[in-house]
Amino acid sequence: MKGLVLTHMGKRDEGLELVKKGVRLDLTSHICWHVFGLIQKGQKNYEEALKSYTQALRFDKENLNILRDAAHLQTQLRQYENLVETRHTLLRMRPNLRQNWIGLAVAFHLNGNLTEAKKVLEHYEASLKNIPDYDVEHSEVLVYHVRILEDLGEFNDALALLDVNAKSRAIIDRVAIMEYRARILSKLGLTEDAEHTWQALIEQNPDHYGYFKGFFSNRGIDLENITDETRPKALQALRDFSIQLPRAAAPRRLALTTATGDDFRELAEPYIAKGLNSNIPSLFADIKALYRDSEKLAAIASIVESRYTQLKAEATVPSPSSESEPPTTYLWTLYFLAQHHSHIGEHARAIELLDEALSHTPTLPELLMLKGRVLKRLGDPYGAARWMDEARVLDLQDRFLNTKCGKYRLRAGMIDEAQDVFALFTKKDAPSPGADLEDMQSVLFLLEDADAHRRNGNLAMALKRYTSIQKLFNEFEDDQFDFHGYSLRKFTINIYLNMIQWADNLRSHPAYVRAAIAAAEIYVQVHDDPTAASHASADSKLSDEAKKAKKKAKKAAVKAVLEDTKKAATSSANEDKGLDVGPPKDDDSDGVKLLQAKDGLEKASKLLSPLSTLAADNIDAWVAIYDVAIRRKKYLQASQALNRAQALDEDHPELHVRLVHFKKTVSTLPQEPPSPIGPVLSQASSRLFSADIALDTYNSQFLQRHPGSPKATLAFAKSLQTLGSPLEEIESTLFGLLHGEANLDHKTALNALGFLDTLSSSRREEFRAACDQKFPLSTVFKTPDETTALRKEAVVPPPEDPQLTNGEDKGEVAS
Amino acid sequence: MNIRAATVEDLAGMQACNLQNLPENYTMKYYLYHALSWPQLSYVAEDQGRIVGYILAKMEEDVADGDESHGHVTSISVLRSYRRLGLAKRLMIQSQEAMATVYRASYVSLHVRKSNRAALALYKDTLGFTVREIEKKYYADGEDAYAMRLSLKHLAR
Repeated sequence: MKGLVLTHMGKRDEGLELVKKGVRLDLTSHICWHVFGLIQKGQKNYEEALKSYTQALRFDKENLNILRDAAHLQTQLRQYENLVETRHTLLRMRPNLRQNWIGLAVAFHLNGNLTEAKKVLEHYEASLKNIPDYDVEHSEVLVYHVRILEDLGEFNDALALLDVNAKSRAIIDRVAIMEYRARILSKLGLTEDAEHTWQALIEQNPDHYGYFKGFFSNRGIDLENITDETRPKALQALRDFSIQLPRAAAPRRLALTTATGDDFRELAEPYIAKGLNSNIPSLFADIKALYRDSEKLAAIASIVESRYTQLKAEATVPSPSSESEPPTTYLWTLYFLAQHHSHIGEHARAIELLDEALSHTPTLPELLMLKGRVLKRLGDPYGAARWMDEARVLDLQDRFLNTKCGKYRLRAGMIDEAQDVFALFTKKDAPSPGADLEDMQSVLFLLEDADAHRRNGNLAMALKRYTSIQKLFNEFEDDQFDFHGYSLRKFTINIYLNMIQWADNLRSHPAYVRAAIAAAEIYVQVHDDPTAASHASADSKLSDEAKKAKKKAKKAAVKAVLEDTKKAATSSANEDKGLDVGPPKDDDSDGVKLLQAKDGLEKASKLLSPLSTLAADNIDAWVAIYDVAIRRKKYLQASQALNRAQALDEDHPELHVRLVHFKKTVSTLPQEPPSPIGPVLSQASSRLFSADIALDTYNSQFLQRHPGSPKATLAFAKSLQTLGSPLEEIESTLFGLLHGEANLDHKTALNALGFLDTLSSSRREEFRAACDQKFPLSTVFKTPDETTALRKEAVVPPPEDPQLTNGEDKGEVAS
Repeated sequence: MNIRAATVEDLAGMQACNLQNLPENYTMKYYLYHALSWPQLSYVAEDQGRIVGYILAKMEEDVADGDESHGHVTSISVLRSYRRLGLAKRLMIQSQEAMATVYRASYVSLHVRKSNRAALALYKDTLGFTVREIEKKYYADGEDAYAMRLSLKHLAR
């Protein structure tokens, strides 16, 4: 007990020691075990906590509090079979408590037993007396019951239950009633009734794509797979909806996806005209999905180009007639066209159009932002950052512009400067803008900052940020815990089940996937070349800028510690600190400890492990899993990863590099691994390689299969290195990228340059200079001095003296 | 843009949208709390899988004596690049409808920064809210807020 009190007072270690002592002194005390479990739960160590609770329950089988907590832990840990048992016990002990019934039904549901869940609900509803009118909680339970019946395929029962309770107004969620009703009627084949309900839903929310999908599916039309047979019917209905619901955007937009040929042109023309006349910034983003159809692309291009010609004529010869379009339409047409040309790779034309627009109106942030984006695509991150900053200063109150500007600075490796702009919207009392963004769980910031550090060669900080993303997702997973109890008390079961599913698939989020892969790549890099870890942390390697950042971070850290102690001193010693652990102290502010960790590959393997199920269609994930597994000598896992990658895209260049690496590694093993691994491995290996040919030949054949592909050439060169070819041969292969028909883009060129770096090639500088010449619009191949200058220019200088800058009153433009 | 009720899968996208747009930000737990307490009240606008606007709403839990049950908009926002489509209005209407029918809210309230003229115009002119009072230093940075209200009595059934 004293231990528990001490823990609440913030003296966690001391408290925990006492509790452990208590457990040792009396192994049969449910109180000691319970307290131990409570503290472990507070540390978010759910597995150990459940063990303690299980011990406690051995000595006090019917303790309600312990049972309830155990149920929450079992849910968190997805031990559904045990959960059913616990919920059963709880219900048996307190059958008069409504939530105990629902708890058991949910437990059955989670354990995959819908029939039992249904029975529990039937018992529960039969036992209910005196339900108050208009009870949201009861309504939710009934909707849940209907859902179970629907999931069980008992559509008639589901419909009957729904209708009775909708009519008596026991179910009060009108949208839910209609959605369930429409869906179930469709499933029952009662198409006429179903159509009425779908229609009602569309009238209620005419921009819900799902309702249109349901409406058409009920008519036997799959909106996502329109055929020549269904097209005219769908189109007619969508035209009718457009007339009936003049303010709804969905039917018009869906009609564009559905229509082809002349129909398309006829519908696209007014759609685009309306978008341009109303100055809708998202018009291009909205319709670019139609570009997958080249005919539609051409039709859209011709519609907008002809409008542009017409408007341009009007703009140059101002017509006195009031019928002409306002000048803003001209601007937004240019904006659209510029996006169009950039999208199809005609960046120079895009810039011409933007310059034309900017000379007309220099103060529309969208134009400046787009110019930045086009430059970014051309490989000029510094110019891009400059234009984004120009856009930002036009409307300093807009955080959207601020975020974009910060992001573009990070893309340009301007890490300090990015913090400077982010600071305008983060909390002033936070240790740093980045710390506030991390506290607020900004995935965008963490990922972009990590990537920026990595490009700048600061692997330690990059790894630290990628790890922060991993921690963020752990936090999200922990966040669900409180709701295992809360949702039952609130009876919000339907969304609760949705949350469980969300938590199970949490790490399929693109940010997690990218961070896990990137972190694994760094761990692999450091494993292969341990000097990378010491380089990255050695001060001698740091640029002035990075040094400054380090100093600043140190200062901030000292300040944070000071503040912590101050806070601790001012807070009363008797204050309840609760059982939950606060955020741990950061004793690795620059990430160096992380980078130099001895168990890097194990850490990488843990990071990647969710991807094998949650990102199974991502070839980069399998490549990363291979890279880590082969270095951990997990040969079977490595070969399986290659198998999975091969099934996704057998010609992927990075996969080719790994295939060569795998074969080479396995064939040079000092001895075949013992059975059963050895034989299975050779089987796997023969599955991966169709014929038993020499690896040199295999590598050359890959290159021949992809003539003129720079990525394939790079993969070929990497494999040359694996196979121990002389440096000169690798170098000349890479230089081959620069001339001839090779279709080199700046990104692949940059990767090739990075590869030359890892080879410590003496021709690196020559390659860089050649790339700089080959890509005159790009700035990523500049010398360090040139880069420093470019970064300086990428920031809009503050106005010298407001008195002297007359005329250009940019700050006042409203958005 | 697709307008639909928010699911738990949408919360990360809503959080990202909020962080990109607004100075008032919340951790995931707070979004979860909204979704799992009042699942019908929050809506999203989606463009091909990306959340480009949202309304995060709740029912007021501590209703003062004499006050009526009412909803509250915790946060509403549309990405700058998706403005002028009327998304905020569409999101607001769906949420208000649910407040009135599911929870019998008699009005909806919200706060807006005194300096945010664009938002003020949207609430006042487009959505019909009126200013009830000024809450001094409502925001963390010391700025005042307008406390605004809109009656939902016409939606009651």
